[in-house]
Amino acid sequence: MMEFASVITGAVLLLLLTAAALRGWLASRPWGAGPAAGEEDTSEPCPEELVSRVFSRADWEFVRGLKAGGIERLFEQERKKVALVWVRQTSALIRKVISEHARAVRQNENLEFSTEINIFAQFLMLMAVCGILSAAIQLAGPLWLGGLASVAQRLSQRVSKLQETFQTVGLTNAGEAKSA
Amino acid sequence: MVNNSEGSAGQAAYTNVPDRAVTVEEAYDDLLRRSLSQISGDLARLIYLASTRDYNTGKYRHDGLAARFRLDIACKALELAHRQIFYRIATYPLERLVGEVELYVSASQQGREEILQVWQKLEPYRVALPVNVNVALAQLFVSNIKLALAIVQRRPKPRAMGASAS
Repeated sequence: MMEFASVITGAVLLLLLTAAALRGWLASRPWGAGPAAGEEDTSEPCPEELVSRVFSRADWEFVRGLKAGGIERLFEQERKKVALVWVRQTSALIRKVISEHARAVRQNENLEFSTEINIFAQFLMLMAVCGILSAAIQLAGPLWLGGLASVAQRLSQRVSKLQETFQTVGLTNAGEAKSA
Repeated sequence: MVNNSEGSAGQAAYTNVPDRAVTVEEAYDDLLRRSLSQISGDLARLIYLASTRDYNTGKYRHDGLAARFRLDIACKALELAHRQIFYRIATYPLERLVGEVELYVSASQQGREEILQVWQKLEPYRVALPVNVNVALAQLFVSNIKLALAIVQRRPKPRAMGASAS
């Protein structure tokens, strides 16, 4: 009987987790929850301090010290909102980088298989991290997720740099082909 | 709007513009030295800089600066200063931002309660966002100002200098 109850509890938990992850993944996509105006437009890069500020516990400690329930709730709501905007923006940026990369790849004859696999693996990992982050922010708020957010930020910077390197190599190759 | 007259009198002020090549950095330093240093608090500086921007064209205008430099150089210097101060204030710890709001409210001519209510209802600080600013950073700024206003409103009104002396 106890075993059966454990199985049922496990299944329910698994279902809840899957639903949360799916919701988060959908929310991180532009056609999921629907981004606010300008979220897709990443014309100005995200400053590095943003992540440490949004996911900072120092602000939370300050708010908690005020001993005002209303302000604590407002803080949680507002930080959740900002964190979700940041996750959507990061997902949008990475999708943009990958689609630009795919366009460049189609025109390039000297592809390096290992580099391509590396970029694709990082893209997949980043999208998974964004999905998990989005779900976790909605469930628990951003205050416990600083580490994961830093991972997402580092990964997105690495993928952008890889893309820049790839573009530079592509341009050099194209220039050499033209001059030959 | 501050010194934003578009009429012929405003244009005439630019006839004394120096012939030598002036840089945005020079105009920026001049702006910091003459105007921004006279304003206490980064939030008040941000609001001032945003108020030099025309709502319709998005161009910044400051007659004094344009008279000493050039209209386009003054515009760029104002934009640079606006952007820099915004980036600084948007990533302030919440506690520091609360201090900025407190300073802004207490330095204003209007009553503290009036300003707090109007800022919470009309959210005029949204106009202080520079153009094309990162969306997440803009959201953080707006959220933090909302929180800071709620915190300041909850705090007891600071005593006036004269009252504390008596």
